[in-house]
Amino acid sequence: MTGRMFMLDVPENVSIVEAVHALPDVKVCRLGPYFVIESDAPISIPRRSTGVRHAVWYSFLAGLDGWRVAQWDKDALRTEAS
Amino acid sequence: MKHVRVGLVVPSSNAGGAAAALGDRHLVTGVDHTAFPTFDPAATVTFYRDVLGFPVVHSICAAGWGPAGHPDFIHFFFDIGGGDRLAFFYYFGLAAPDLADGAGDVYARFPADTPIWFVHSRHLALHVESQEHLLEYRRRLDASEWPVEMQIQHETIESIYTHDPNGYMVEITRAMRPVTPQEDLDANLTIDALVDIAARPGHSMNDLLVRKAELITERAPRWDADRAGDQPASPQPAEAGR
Repeated sequence: MTGRMFMLDVPENVSIVEAVHALPDVKVCRLGPYFVIESDAPISIPRRSTGVRHAVWYSFLAGLDGWRVAQWDKDALRTEAS
Repeated sequence: MKHVRVGLVVPSSNAGGAAAALGDRHLVTGVDHTAFPTFDPAATVTFYRDVLGFPVVHSICAAGWGPAGHPDFIHFFFDIGGGDRLAFFYYFGLAAPDLADGAGDVYARFPADTPIWFVHSRHLALHVESQEHLLEYRRRLDASEWPVEMQIQHETIESIYTHDPNGYMVEITRAMRPVTPQEDLDANLTIDALVDIAARPGHSMNDLLVRKAELITERAPRWDADRAGDQPASPQPAEAGR
């Protein structure tokens, strides 16, 4: 099942979207002022690939559809099927 | 005839008309005052008036009245900018709490093992317009008995923190950039999602993120269309990061 992750389009989140573009089999779209990250498989975003510090890293996620958070720590945000 | 709290007598028909005209407006204009007790008025005045430079703008000397045992008191106010005021009550003869054990301030005491993030969750944050102004307050505090305990800068705000003589945590903060319109939308979706899930037993961040995704799907396209004056659009490939 395709899962979707939502992120608000604010300057702090752009580098995270850039990192997500580098992930395999991930599509990034827009829905209103949100980035929508879609994939047929759960994803894992390494924090260091994003270049963001903790305040943004731990608050950038706006919504999940078909996934839930399996890991969200200093190393990565990883989703799993809900 | 209808009596309103300020003592004016307003014909009920006019009052109804006013309610109709004002019913959808956000009418308040800021913090008239927020009030805290103090057991050390001298240090409180030193901290707010002499160190931070907040003028004393109002005070009330009142004999104890009303409930039995109410002590005589002084209610005094500092100007915290923008027409807003920070007020204190000093009650004559009221014994100060024992601060030797536990955590918290003179108003709220907690067991010593209370997590500090919870103790600090209630605090007063004052706004400044620039880093220059923030650092000026840092300079004033660092030269006093209440130096800055922490300075934090991240992508959206920069803040300094200390505790006043009463143990109340005081933050002075500046925004690193203006709040964008989409952040107002996002805030409302977050709060609507939280309200929706808050009654569920064992609710978690995952529940909120799932509910918020539903609200985003429902409302975000309409928000975009409203701003652009167009019809709701299908998701388009993102430009950022390409």
